[in-house]
Amino acid sequence: MSPDPQTLPAGTQRFVEALVAKLRRRQVVGSREAALETVLVLRQLVSKARFSNIEQLISLIRAVGRRLVEAQPKEHSVGNTVRKILHHIREEYNTASKGTASSSTKPVYSISTFVLQGQPRKHNVAPKSEATLSLKENDPDDPDSFARVLKPVLMEAIQDVLDELETVYDNVSKNAKDHIHSDEIVLTIGNSKTVESFLKGAAHYRNFTVIVAETGPSYGGHSMARALSSAGISTFLVPDSSIYAIMSRVNKVIIGAHAILANGGMFAITGSLLAATAARVHSTPVVVCAGQFKLTPLWNLYHDYGALDFADPSSVLGFEEGALVEKVDVLNPYYDYVGPELVDVFITNDGDHPPSSVYRLIKETYDDDDHEL
Amino acid sequence: MAEAQAAETKFEIFEAYNRILRDDEMSPPLAAILSLTELIANSQAGTMFELVKELNDGAEELKKHTANPMSLNAGCELFIAFVTLFPHESDSFAQLKTELIKQGQKYASEAISHRNKIAELMLGFIKDDSVILTHSYSRVVMRALLHAHKTKRISVYVTEARPRGLGIRTYEALTSAGIPCTVVLDSAVAYVMDKVDFVLVGSEAVVESGGLINAVGSNQMAIIAKAASKPFYALAESYKFHRLFPLSQYDLPTHNPSILSFPTISPRPSGSETSSAGVSPHNVQSNQANGSSSTPSRLVQISMTSEQIARNPEVDYTRPDLISLVFSDVGILTPEAISQYLVAMFAG
Amino acid sequence: MAPAPLLPVHPPNGPDPIVQPQKSQKQMTKAERRELQERQRAAKAAAKSAAGPAGNQGKGGAKPSAPPTPVPKKPGKSEALPKPPLTPGGRTKDRSASISEPAAGNARGLRIFSHFGLPKPVSVAKGDIHPAILRLALQFSNFKITGGNARCIATLTAFKTVIQDYTTPPNTTLSRHLMTYLSPQISHLVAARPMSVTMGNAIRQLKLEISGSDIDLPEQDAKNALFQKIDTYIRDRILIADQVIEETAGNKIKDGDVILTFARSSVVQKVLLGAHEQGRQFSVIVVDSRPMMEGKKLLSVLATAGIKCTYVLLPAVGAVINEVSMVLVGAHSIHSNGAVYSRAGTALVAMMARQHSVPVVVCCETYKYSESVQLDSFTKNELAPVGDQFCPFPLVKSPSDLTLQNRARLEILNPLYDLTPPTCITAVVTEVGVVPSNSISSIPIALGRLL
Repeated sequence: MSPDPQTLPAGTQRFVEALVAKLRRRQVVGSREAALETVLVLRQLVSKARFSNIEQLISLIRAVGRRLVEAQPKEHSVGNTVRKILHHIREEYNTASKGTASSSTKPVYSISTFVLQGQPRKHNVAPKSEATLSLKENDPDDPDSFARVLKPVLMEAIQDVLDELETVYDNVSKNAKDHIHSDEIVLTIGNSKTVESFLKGAAHYRNFTVIVAETGPSYGGHSMARALSSAGISTFLVPDSSIYAIMSRVNKVIIGAHAILANGGMFAITGSLLAATAARVHSTPVVVCAGQFKLTPLWNLYHDYGALDFADPSSVLGFEEGALVEKVDVLNPYYDYVGPELVDVFITNDGDHPPSSVYRLIKETYDDDDHEL
Repeated sequence: MAEAQAAETKFEIFEAYNRILRDDEMSPPLAAILSLTELIANSQAGTMFELVKELNDGAEELKKHTANPMSLNAGCELFIAFVTLFPHESDSFAQLKTELIKQGQKYASEAISHRNKIAELMLGFIKDDSVILTHSYSRVVMRALLHAHKTKRISVYVTEARPRGLGIRTYEALTSAGIPCTVVLDSAVAYVMDKVDFVLVGSEAVVESGGLINAVGSNQMAIIAKAASKPFYALAESYKFHRLFPLSQYDLPTHNPSILSFPTISPRPSGSETSSAGVSPHNVQSNQANGSSSTPSRLVQISMTSEQIARNPEVDYTRPDLISLVFSDVGILTPEAISQYLVAMFAG
Repeated sequence: MAPAPLLPVHPPNGPDPIVQPQKSQKQMTKAERRELQERQRAAKAAAKSAAGPAGNQGKGGAKPSAPPTPVPKKPGKSEALPKPPLTPGGRTKDRSASISEPAAGNARGLRIFSHFGLPKPVSVAKGDIHPAILRLALQFSNFKITGGNARCIATLTAFKTVIQDYTTPPNTTLSRHLMTYLSPQISHLVAARPMSVTMGNAIRQLKLEISGSDIDLPEQDAKNALFQKIDTYIRDRILIADQVIEETAGNKIKDGDVILTFARSSVVQKVLLGAHEQGRQFSVIVVDSRPMMEGKKLLSVLATAGIKCTYVLLPAVGAVINEVSMVLVGAHSIHSNGAVYSRAGTALVAMMARQHSVPVVVCCETYKYSESVQLDSFTKNELAPVGDQFCPFPLVKSPSDLTLQNRARLEILNPLYDLTPPTCITAVVTEVGVVPSNSISSIPIALGRLL
């Protein structure tokens, strides 16, 4: 469903389409990159948008968000960023409009609202504007007044989101030294920047060894191993087949996530399920480092086999194998689903959380209406 | 005179309850709420305190007359808490009462639609060609299955759910809707578990620990599902959330000393094989608890006597660590979320 | 006996990390000298900065200037490990003292894996090694012959040639001298690659036969008797055993099954081909992994035979395990507690199968039984050579992305085997019957003899 071209300012249309194209062609690599690009596009959109009440702005952003998500449904950080910005916008609006609109409609107190009281309390973001602005909605004389007054506040809120995204790595590694002790042996897989900065952060204070599993068929482990060893951490590179063999010597498993689902489970690079299950068998703690922008308010993704993104089979069995290629089926799933019972803690830029409280984080970070954009 | 009136009201509430329950779609907690609203309508109380007391008495009366009061308790509790915490803005008490009655009726009418909401939430979790195992008869599970059947292919195993045999009712309803269904013996749940994609049950009540109270057999199913690593989903409307924390099966309010007790052995002359109460329609011959020696005919299906059945529980408690997710009209909740939800809800 | 093997995987400070067989002495002394230098320099730096204020990140600041930390040389077969240098004043929280900590940490990290048998270069043969053995050793060290059964059969066949060419020296008998003649040959093979349990059991049996051979027999007759025994061994314990296993395991495969197997086991290959010939309809998922990537060979054999196959790499097992009806794997050896020592990665596959209630069936001939009890994959293991000479990475990966050699502070390990605990195994199919994994110790009893 493309947004009504009349409501989108001409300039931003181009930006949106550019990002949509990049997402569809998978030219945006990495969830953080996707999130950053999304924020930039939405910032453009809000700064150039024309709206006379908050509903218009929200539906505009939702329409754009829908388009972006459809371009690359497996890249969840795009949708999450849109939801986060919507949440911030609503917060700012509510604070700003407190002064003007005196509680016009008294909330109807019914049994249903009573029941809904059980919902976790919303996380109150410190409002940008202390002073209550005089907001005139739907002013027929000056349709832009509403937007004009509200925009600076909204831009600041979006800037907050951007700042948070840019400082993700630093915040995740802030307390790294408390999680890793001297002479520990840590196992990691794949090539997650978050985990890399976490380990480097800990390496400043502690002396430990890291074992990196190669993680076929992307073999991201190789780059990770090189990056870690260049940072002065003593590293071992092993093939995936030896994960179980060495697990008895490993003190901790630290992996990254692609998306964290509402039940506390997560999507992570294929191979994470093996590492997490082997760790569970050996009672080794599994630590997941991820930015908060990876929290996804969706539940049922893991039941779809198609939820596992599939990559090109030539990394598994290439054409150099000759005639064999046409006789066999090759599977190359890119992600694994790891259940909440296999993860011990999520270390995010907003603190450490066990999987059981992820649903609460999601309720606090996003609004319910935005679960389906 | 007050007594006669009180007796009149009391009698009324149980009658009202039964009357409301005749509607097939109505479940016990909703019927309880509606009968409590009728109580308010007929109440002579002048202050909030008196009203709440009358409501509590009415609830007690209902509980006394029902064999399995679990879900009923939940509904009563919800309504009474609502009444207690209702903000008094209106000046006249009568106005307040009318307001309460209106709210109660509105909620009950909305609540029927909760099942549709839950069915919609459940839909995303059902894959094409899913094999589902369910237990006994639950209206919300029926709604979810029929809703899924419209867009996906599913097949269902349902347990017989002795002694009431409600599973057969599920079987008939599903088969007439065109869903392939097979009735499974309660004892064959472990046998069938590896073929199943997930387990779906309804609930009588969802409790503060995050656990589930449902027809007896649910706990068994949950344990087997856990052993086979299959997801166990429970469907519960929000009015079934109950402030109760059972520590074990025997901590349930439905548990009484006669359940699972051993009978006093009264000596009987051997050879006497006929009994007083054979329950099953297929029964050819029934046995005493201690006697045996039935004639070895292949077609004989031996059944329990009603005394023996009375020694068995009707509901059981499923621990929260065995439950994967609870689907309710307020959203999809993990068992941990349920306990936090209940605390928040009744804290006011 | 070859000189003390220089383990080519040098500690991460080595001046050239490239694998090179060299004269050990010179290398060691050079490392020792350098180590001493570093120790002194580190001590000096530590003493200096211990006085100064703890300013910025100690490690970050001091590191680039200081040369890579010294590390004690890899012990390998040598006993004494030079102790890591300690800062004056012991280990404190002071960041400047962390300069010496890396040394200790490195030492510890290396020590954990130091007892693994690393692949050794086939050095000049000491003594008179038969050309058949020389050829075999070369084939072993280049991984041209892999797999327990293949290595055993090749070894025994080579020994037949050796025995044929052997002449008993005067004043001694065949039964006594032949063994001493064979010992250096065996050691040469072991130097190329650590002995497999199959080879060990076969050689032990051979020794028994040799020592039991009749002194009075003329030499050629004695040799012929030995050949007979060797052939019988191969036939009974390997070939016929495989046939029985093929039939027994094949009966467990039903129409419509999806069989998952890992890497390449000769027995499993026979089972699958046999079942297919009998007309059973099933499909196979072949799971493969580095460092050996042997699954590809199995895959081509099965695909050519017309069996429907799927090929995945090990990390993808989680995605496919739901469809699998049975896991069929082979073994390198099986221990008396029921643990299976097999190609690295088997334990992961068995573990995932167990989580999903999929039965794991191990096909193993009785001659692979080893009386020892192995507790984990560390007690006995072997490392494959580093790099991609004999197992290339997929062409789509450019070599610049990959780490193919050891670098500073980065070491590549490729363990070849791992141990699957008996709890993950449902059944072991042998030629004497199907046994549950914890009754494995009953096999010798079933055979009525000591293996």
